[in-house]
Amino acid sequence: MNKRCLLTVLLYWLFGASVQASETIEWWQFWTDPGVKPTIQAMVNEFEQANPDIEVKLTDLTWANGHEKIVISFASGKAPDVLELGSDWIAQFAVHGHLAETTADALKDSADFRGWSMATYQGKVYARPWILGTRVLFANRDLLTKAGYEEDFVPADQQEFKEAAFKIGNLGRNIYGWGSNTAEKHRLYKKFLPFFWTTGAQLFTDDDKYCVLSSKKAADALLLYKELHDSCGYVATQRGIEDAFLDGKIGFILSGDWLLKRIELEKREINLVSTLMPGPRFPGRSFLGGEFLAVTEASTHKAAAAKLIEFITSPENQVRFCKASRSANPSSKTAQEDEYFRSNAHLQTFIKQIAMAKHPPVDPNWVEMETAIEEAVEDALFGSGLIAEPLMKARIKIDKLRRR
Amino acid sequence: MVGPEGKVRSGVRYLGLTLILLVMVFPLLWMFRVSLMDVGSSIGMGRLLSGSVTFGNYVDLLGAGNLGRALLNSVLVGASVTLGNILFCFMTGYTLARFRHIANRLLFVSVIVVLMIPAHIVIIPFYVLMLKAGLYDTYWALILPFLVNPIGIFLVKQYVESIPPAMEEAARMDGAGELRILLAVVMPLCRPALAVLAIQVFFTNWNSFLFPYILTTSDELRTLPVALALLQGHQAVDWQHLMAGSSIAVIPVLILFIVMQRQIVSGVTAGAIKQ
Amino acid sequence: MNSPKSTALVLALPWGATLILFWLFPLVYSFVMGFTDYRLLVADYQWVGWSNYRELFLDPDFGAALKNTFVFVIGTIPVTTVVALGLALLVSRGFKGRGIFRAGFFLPSVTSMVVIALIFTNLYQRGGYVAMLAELVGLSPPEYGFLYDQGTALYSIMAMDVWMSVGYYMLIFLAGLKAIPDELYEAAEIAGAGKLRQFGTITLPLLRPVALFIVVINSIKSFQVFVEIFVMTKGKFDTATAVYFIYNEGLATHFRFGYASAAAYVLFIIIAVFSAVQFALLRRREALW
Repeated sequence: MNKRCLLTVLLYWLFGASVQASETIEWWQFWTDPGVKPTIQAMVNEFEQANPDIEVKLTDLTWANGHEKIVISFASGKAPDVLELGSDWIAQFAVHGHLAETTADALKDSADFRGWSMATYQGKVYARPWILGTRVLFANRDLLTKAGYEEDFVPADQQEFKEAAFKIGNLGRNIYGWGSNTAEKHRLYKKFLPFFWTTGAQLFTDDDKYCVLSSKKAADALLLYKELHDSCGYVATQRGIEDAFLDGKIGFILSGDWLLKRIELEKREINLVSTLMPGPRFPGRSFLGGEFLAVTEASTHKAAAAKLIEFITSPENQVRFCKASRSANPSSKTAQEDEYFRSNAHLQTFIKQIAMAKHPPVDPNWVEMETAIEEAVEDALFGSGLIAEPLMKARIKIDKLRRR
Repeated sequence: MVGPEGKVRSGVRYLGLTLILLVMVFPLLWMFRVSLMDVGSSIGMGRLLSGSVTFGNYVDLLGAGNLGRALLNSVLVGASVTLGNILFCFMTGYTLARFRHIANRLLFVSVIVVLMIPAHIVIIPFYVLMLKAGLYDTYWALILPFLVNPIGIFLVKQYVESIPPAMEEAARMDGAGELRILLAVVMPLCRPALAVLAIQVFFTNWNSFLFPYILTTSDELRTLPVALALLQGHQAVDWQHLMAGSSIAVIPVLILFIVMQRQIVSGVTAGAIKQ
Repeated sequence: MNSPKSTALVLALPWGATLILFWLFPLVYSFVMGFTDYRLLVADYQWVGWSNYRELFLDPDFGAALKNTFVFVIGTIPVTTVVALGLALLVSRGFKGRGIFRAGFFLPSVTSMVVIALIFTNLYQRGGYVAMLAELVGLSPPEYGFLYDQGTALYSIMAMDVWMSVGYYMLIFLAGLKAIPDELYEAAEIAGAGKLRQFGTITLPLLRPVALFIVVINSIKSFQVFVEIFVMTKGKFDTATAVYFIYNEGLATHFRFGYASAAAYVLFIIIAVFSAVQFALLRRREALW
C-alpha cells in the first residue's frame, strides 16, 4: 500500500505536472470596443475552460497602429501565435512566409464557410474566415415617396437606380440623390468596385496575365459613378455622408452594417430601405472583405493555435460575436441561417449580398493597386474629369506592380 | 511735433496693423471658440461671438480620451529633452569656446554641417536604427536622439566667449576641480543664454511631429501633436473636440510665450544673425 | 578629470556620440540602403545596384512629388521673404504698442504645425471661413472645399505656410534692420535723399545678407515639407511632396526601406545643390561690397 502510494506520487510528479503545465498562446486582435471586447474575453475564457492545458494571452491592436505592429513583430521574430488579419493583408504576409499554411485537418469543415478564396494565395490557404463584410444600397423611403415612387419601390436595375437618384436630387436645394465619397484612402475604392463589378468589368484578363482596368465596361462603370457624383452627389467623407443620410438629406448611400448599429445606438429615426446592389439585369455584385484568423509560421504552438481559431470561428460563437458587435456578418453558412439574421430584413440583405459579393485579388501589392484605382476615380471626379485616361494610367501602374 | 497730417498717418498705420494682426491671430481665436462649442451645435461662421460655451469637450478629451496621457508624455519628454540640452549643449559649447586647441575646428565644422543636413531625409535609417537597438516604441526613442542640438551649442559657445576667463582661473587657483568650475562658476553666468536655449528646445520638442510619430506606435507613448493628428484620422471625431485638443496643445505654449517673450525673440535672432 | 585635455574630451562626448550615432550613421546607412532591396518584411536583402534610382526616375509618383516640392519651395519663399520684410518695416520704427503687433505676428510661428494644419483644414472646408471670404470678394470657391480640389489644394497649403512663417522671418529682418547704423540715414537725410531713396540705397543693400540667409534656411525647411500634407490631404489632390513620398514608400504600407532611402538621397542631393548655389551667391555678393 505504501509502495503504491509512493509510486502514484512519483508518477504524478513525473507526468501529471507536465499535463497540467499549460501552453500559452498569444492572440492579437482588433476589437477594443467596450461593447465587443467582453464577448471576446468570454469566448477566450470558455476556450481555456474547455482546454485546461492552453492559456490564451490577448493583446488588443487598433486600426491606427495594428498593421505596423504586426509588420514589426514579423521583422523582429516576435510574432504572436494567432493573428486577426484584414483580408487585404493576407497575401503580403503570406508571400514572405510569415503565415503558416492551414492544415488539412483545419479545412475539414471548410464547406460551411464562405471566404476561403480571400485567404488563398498561390493555391495555399493561410487563414480561416471569421467574419465578413460587404456594402449594400440603403435608401431613404420618405425621399423616394416624395419623388413619386410607390410604397414598395426598390430599384430593379442600374437604370432605375440612376433615375431614382436623379429625381431625389431634383427635390430641393439641400437634398441629394447619392452619397459620394471624397478622396479617402482605403474607402473610395470600396464604393467604386461594386459599380465596376456589377457592370461586368474585370481587373485582370481571365488568364490573370494582364490588367484590363481600362476596358469599355470599366469606363462605363466609372461613367455611371461620375454621373451620380456630378449630378446629384453629396460629396463628403464616409462619416459626413452617413451624417447627412441620417439627417434625411440623401436618397441613396452604399454602406456597411455599422450604419444599422449607428441608427440603433443614436436612436435615429429614418425610414430605412436596404436593398442589393442593383445590377444591369440581376442584383449586382458588391464588395466583399472580411476578418480572418491566421496561425503564424513562427508559432511554436500551432496545434493549440488552430484549436483556438476553430473554437472562435464555430457557428455558435460567430452568431454570438456578430450579435455583440452588430457590425459584422458570419462567414459560416450555418451561422448565417440563425434566427438573429433571419428575423431582421436589413441583416438579410447583407447575408444575401455576401453571397453575391466579390473580393479584390489576393495580391501582396494589392494596397498599392487599390491606391492606383482610387487615383483614377479621384482624377475622374475631382481632377481632369476624364474617364479613359485615368483608367489607362492606373492600368499601367498595376501591370508594373505585378511585374515587380 | 505731430501735426494733423501726422495724426492721420499714424491712424492709418494703426488701422492697417490692426487688420494684419486680426488676420494673424484670427485662426487661433477661431480654434478657441470652436473648442468651447457644444458638439452638434452648428459651427457656422456667425458663431464667433454668439452661441453656447462649454468646457465639456476638454473634459472628454482629458478624461476618457487618450489626450491626458499624451499631455503627460509631451510634458515628460519635453522636460527631459530640455534638461538634457541645457546640460549637454552647455558642456559642448563651453568646450568649443575654451579649449580651442582640441579638435575645435573639426567639432565646429560638424555643428555647421549638421545644421545643413535636412533631418527629414534620415527618417528611414532612424527608424531601422531604433528598431534594431530595441528602442523603438519606448520613451528612449523620443528623448535620446534629441538631448543635444547644434544651435544650442552655438548659442552657448557665443556666450561663453563673451565671458572673461578670469573667474574660472581664479577658481582654478583656489583649487576647485574642473567639474566644480563648470557647474558652480560658469553655468550660473550663462543663465541668460541657457534660458534662451531652454525655451527654444522646449518649443521645438513640444511641437515636433514626424520623429515622435514614426518612432512610436503605442497609444500610451504618443505625444500631443501625434495624438491630435491621429485623432483627426479617426472617423467619429467632430471639430469641437478636435479644436479642444488643439487648444490643449497651444495653451502651454501661449503662456510660456507671454512670460518669456524676450528670450524667445533673442533665440530666433541670435541663432540667425551670428552666422 | 584633471588635465584640461581630458576634461574637454569628456565634455564633448555627448555631442560627439549624438553626432556619430544619430546624424552621420543614419546618413551613411541611408546611402548604403539605397543600393539594396531591403524591406522590413523580408529578412535578407540583396544588392541591387542602381536599380532603385532607375525605378525612381521612371516612377510618376516620385516625379509628381518632386514637382510639388519645387512648386512649394519656389512659390512660398519669395512671398514669405517679401511679406516678412514688409512686416518688419511696418513695426521697426518706434511707436506705441509695436511690441503687441510684433508678438501677434510672431505667434503662429511658435504654434504646432499639426494644430495650425487642423485649424486651416476647418477654415478651408466647404462653407468655411475662407470660402465665405472668397464669395465676399466675388470669387467662387471650389465646390467641395479648398483642400478637395486639385487646382487649389497645394496652393492653399502654401498660403497657410506663408501665413505661419512670416512672423519668424520678420523677427530676423528686424534684427537686421537694427544693425544698420542710424548715421547712414542721417547722412542721407542731409544729402537730401527721400525715404524711398534711402530704402533703395541703404536699407535694401544692407539687408541683403539677412535676406539671403532667410532664403537659405527657409528653402532647407521647405524642401522637407511634410506635416501639413500629412494632416491636411494625405497627399491627395496632387499635394504629395518628396518627404511624403519617402514616408509613404518607406514607413506607411510596404516598408520599402531601400527604395525610400534612394528617394531620400535624391532629395538630399537636390537640397545640397540648392544650398551650395545660394551660398555661392551669398559669398559673391559679399565680395562685391
